[in-house]
Amino acid sequence: MTESRDVVIVGAGAAGLMLAARLAEGGQSVTVLEAGPARQLSDLVSSQIWARKLKWSEPAVSESGDHKIGHAFNAGSGTGGSALHHYGVWLRMHEGDFSVQSDHGVGRDWPLSYADLAPHYDRVQTEVGLSGDADQERWRPQGAPYPMPPLPLFAQSRVLAKGFEKTGRHTSPLPLAINSEPYEGRRSCQYDGWCDAGCPIGALGNPLVTWLPRARAAGVQLEHNATVSRVIRDARHTQRIESVEYLQAGERKTLRADRIIIAAFAVQSVRILLSSAAAGHVAPGNHSDQLGRYLMTHPAATTFGLFEDETYPHQGVSAGQLLNHDDYDQKDAPGGFGSSQWMIGHAIKPHDLLGYGTGRPDIPGANLKTWLQRAAQHLGNMTLVCEDIALPENRVTLSDRVDSNGIASAHTHHDLAPTAAARWVQRMSEGQEILRAAGAQEVWSSPRIGMHIMGGAVMGDDPATSVTDSFGRVHDTANLYVAGPALFPSSGAVNPTFTLSALASRQADHLLGKL
Amino acid sequence: MAHDLSRRRLLGSSLFTASFLILGDRLTLSPAEAVELDFTPEVLRRDQLNIIATVAEQLVPGSADAGIAAYLDAQLRAGNDSLLIGKYLGVDVSAQIDFYESLARNLQKALQTEQATSEVLSAMWSDIQENWEGPPASYMLFVLRADALDVTYGTPEGFEALGIPYMAHIMPEKPW
Ligand SMILES: Cc1cc2nc3c(=O)[nH]c(=O)nc-3n(C[C@H](O)[C@H](O)[C@H](O)COP(=O)(O)OP(=O)(O)OC[C@H]3O[C@@H](n4cnc5c(N)ncnc54)[C@H](O)[C@@H]3O)c2cc1C
Ligand code: SF4
Repeated sequence: MTESRDVVIVGAGAAGLMLAARLAEGGQSVTVLEAGPARQLSDLVSSQIWARKLKWSEPAVSESGDHKIGHAFNAGSGTGGSALHHYGVWLRMHEGDFSVQSDHGVGRDWPLSYADLAPHYDRVQTEVGLSGDADQERWRPQGAPYPMPPLPLFAQSRVLAKGFEKTGRHTSPLPLAINSEPYEGRRSCQYDGWCDAGCPIGALGNPLVTWLPRARAAGVQLEHNATVSRVIRDARHTQRIESVEYLQAGERKTLRADRIIIAAFAVQSVRILLSSAAAGHVAPGNHSDQLGRYLMTHPAATTFGLFEDETYPHQGVSAGQLLNHDDYDQKDAPGGFGSSQWMIGHAIKPHDLLGYGTGRPDIPGANLKTWLQRAAQHLGNMTLVCEDIALPENRVTLSDRVDSNGIASAHTHHDLAPTAAARWVQRMSEGQEILRAAGAQEVWSSPRIGMHIMGGAVMGDDPATSVTDSFGRVHDTANLYVAGPALFPSSGAVNPTFTLSALASRQADHLLGKL
Repeated sequence: MAHDLSRRRLLGSSLFTASFLILGDRLTLSPAEAVELDFTPEVLRRDQLNIIATVAEQLVPGSADAGIAAYLDAQLRAGNDSLLIGKYLGVDVSAQIDFYESLARNLQKALQTEQATSEVLSAMWSDIQENWEGPPASYMLFVLRADALDVTYGTPEGFEALGIPYMAHIMPEKPW
């Protein structure tokens, strides 16, 4: 072990590549170790079946509980991580999301407020390139307007918007990390709905087109097929983590660094820390038995309608086109607990897990083709995302199973709090009313799924009840950090990538001595 | 070679996707072609694939000719690189062969009856089919139906059949 770096980052996803770019631009020598293969834009083939190649494949994560996190669906691997084919919905958390325990006696507070993140949201949205209309988002917390105007509306969203209007609700353009016009040398969107398979033209701000070019230009070294198994403590100064151990091409290697950042998405980040317990030492961050706890996933589902109107649901982007947050700030409104949002008018395919054909096993085979042909012209759909409540029993642990490298796999347990489940039921039924008001002749919904994964290494001021401080530094260490949604103490009901990026931006400033 | 399709045409096909055994020759074929040429299964048995394809055809007409049997056999051979929807739903790769074997066993039992296939399927969807073993019948059928939709409608040709413009950024050079 000869080499030593200023910073080693584990995971080349949304958080890892952003930190790599920022820290290397700040003069640090940075190596990123990525478990998956090197990926390029040319790998993003327009096919829902090919898209599955981008998912996390090993080690498999076993799951239990009444609302599983869906790791196989939610996690990716290789350059860009899950964010390589994320849909680009970039929303700020609301002020109230940061203080759910103080305000409502539920879940956990963050050790920082919206005001601490606001300048980072503003900065990141310019770097990544967001489109939207801040004025139309009447619920949006204070912040700079978007650098690009919103995407144009297609037929499906115009039809669905009528349902919101007729039921006294408001919609705004969905803020997206998708170019509505050429931005920073990247092309604008073609509205072909292939985002789930990854956007190879650079219209969607995935890490291959946002952070990777900057990281490379600043001299970041990127190692692929390098699966980190654990971090190793300095034998003399046990608060210091000396190196990371990883497996590459069957060889066990170590790399020293002054600072180590684990940005391997929520479950794998916790798995690495749990695997780093050593003789005489509990796992880093686990002195108070907090590591892995407060695992969260948004309870979500899509509701569909068939309309007389032509909707052409192949047009647009996978994320949807409109947003509704009318009820977001009424966390303790009767009927359950938590915020919720609607993402409205997804471009959608006939097959695959989220496809409209898959969710209708009741259509007899003999009628299926005609039904699919009709849906291809007349379907509307929108997705509900509800808040999850952080519970200590929901946890990542190590399983008894080991992968082909002999590394213990993760097990996750997640139950949904009854009040959060009740909120989901309530909003789903409202969603069906909205579709009927929009003119749907037939309405149905998908089952509840776990969307996004958060928590497991939550931030807090008190080492007795959290894993890291507000900069992501693991409490019982001097130089080990976690980045990404593992840090979230609460989930809100918004998609997490904008917030985890704002957090990473704040972490980068801290690590460069600017905060 | 006593096949309808000439070797040259098969090798030149734009939809070739995996290698299949055809009367002892290993050829690179699309699942539809492999089925047409009566490929030799390598993971599941022929009778297992036959019953699975028969039921898939009931659920998604056109899936038998699109090559559901060959698709499943090839994907089960692919191990960690399998693209079957079950993997995406969290069915561990190592458990996938068992899953389809168990599905075939259950289907063979369930269809040994005087009842119409549609009635048997409806009992399966409602999870009231007697003597069903392993994961619930409705879940197994859901997975099989999703596979059949992938094979039949998850390709540029499938989109065309439904009147949907494919509008690829990068056209898949093979269906999967
Ligand atoms: C289909 C889909 C759509 C989505 N759409 C949205 C959206 O519209 N908006 C939104 O906000 N979010 C969305 N998300 C979620 C978003 O992708 C994630 O929240 C985000 O990517 C998390 O960032 P991350 O850096 O923590 O993890 P990732 O981006 O997943 O990166 C983690 C990386 O770590 C690597 N890794 C893991 N273990 C190891 C190890 N042991 N050693 C080395 N490397 C390792 C992984 O291979 C991976 O590349 C979507 C996700 C999916 C799957
Ligand atoms: S619809 Fe737009 S963002 Fe999505 S893949 Fe196509 S060009 Fe990219």
